[in-house]
Amino acid sequence: MSVTIQVWDLPLRLFHWLLALAVVAAIVTGEVGGNLIDWHGRIGVFIVGLLVFRIIWGFVGSTHARFASFFPTPAKITAYLKGQWQGHGHNPLGALSVFALLGVLATLVGAGLFANDDIAFQGPLFGLVDKALSDRLSGLHALTFNVLAGLLVLHIAAIVFYVRVKKHNLVVPMLTGKVSVPKDRAVSVSKAGVLRFVVALAISGAVVWVISNGAQHFAPAPNAPVAAPSW
Amino acid sequence: MKFKLALAVLIATSSTAAFAGQAEDQQVKFRQSAYSFAAWNCAKIKKQVIESPETFNKEQVIAAANAVAAVANSGLGSLYGAGTDQATGWKKSRLKAEFFEKQDDAKKVAVAFVKESNELAKVAASGDVGAIKTQFGKVAETCKSCHDGFRVKD
Repeated sequence: MSVTIQVWDLPLRLFHWLLALAVVAAIVTGEVGGNLIDWHGRIGVFIVGLLVFRIIWGFVGSTHARFASFFPTPAKITAYLKGQWQGHGHNPLGALSVFALLGVLATLVGAGLFANDDIAFQGPLFGLVDKALSDRLSGLHALTFNVLAGLLVLHIAAIVFYVRVKKHNLVVPMLTGKVSVPKDRAVSVSKAGVLRFVVALAISGAVVWVISNGAQHFAPAPNAPVAAPSW
Repeated sequence: MKFKLALAVLIATSSTAAFAGQAEDQQVKFRQSAYSFAAWNCAKIKKQVIESPETFNKEQVIAAANAVAAVANSGLGSLYGAGTDQATGWKKSRLKAEFFEKQDDAKKVAVAFVKESNELAKVAASGDVGAIKTQFGKVAETCKSCHDGFRVKD
């Protein structure tokens, strides 16, 4: 006898798929460059907003969205590897992947905000640091991308491995939010509610707004060509 | 006497050491200056055709595009002498050593930069903001292709 329980709440699923889309778009625009670099910058700021939301949601979201509920302790990892883990939501290995992905992405976009390409693009917070530091953060941005690429390959390989070898589809629950579990292992989950979602969304939106609009106030003086002398 | 000779030898060798690499350093200094100057002009074009099109000033954009094209056409290749990947201009060069092994690829990106910059100067003369924007993006892509292929990441 099995029952259906909710593992991923709607905001978490929206976060996941918007992040996947945004990361793909950021990779494409970053690789092509040219005029698309400005979109690369905008998408990066959007990703900052998504990450801020996810961090808030990790404290106030429904049960399986909370960091505390899936924090991968050595004991949990050992139990999982012995096949003794009986929980729902992120398994302890998956949780390692979640924290690694969030950490690497935060470093990547964080550095990107201050980066420049030595062509005609600067991240929205470029004006807060000097050029030498911006150059180093640009290097960090490029380096961290390689780490992210590796984690993404691992992420997708793990999903394929679970489907093929363990006969466990992880993609469908990320779409529907639901999994089927044996009745004796079903546990009730706490819900987050609309108010918490709205507040988390508002804070994330405010961060995005400050980065993209506040930046004008601390950007370096423009080249002011209009007021240039005639010579 | 011996002391004076030793002193002369010391001065001669140390001054040779000080001058060693000077030509390479000078090349790096010139090319870093050239790209900085091109970047200044690119920033002006971007400001006026992409970021704040309401500030578009045809004469200024033409002047900037001509300056970029002039840099591109100035024969920058002669500033990439052997050993300049290890030299220091305004700061240490970030040129990859591979540059000297992949001369055909290097030439390709250099030729693309010249071609697209000349086209930008031509398009700028037309005063068509949309066309300038598109062509500006193409020039920026040629900058990027060289950065991606031949420049060490900081």
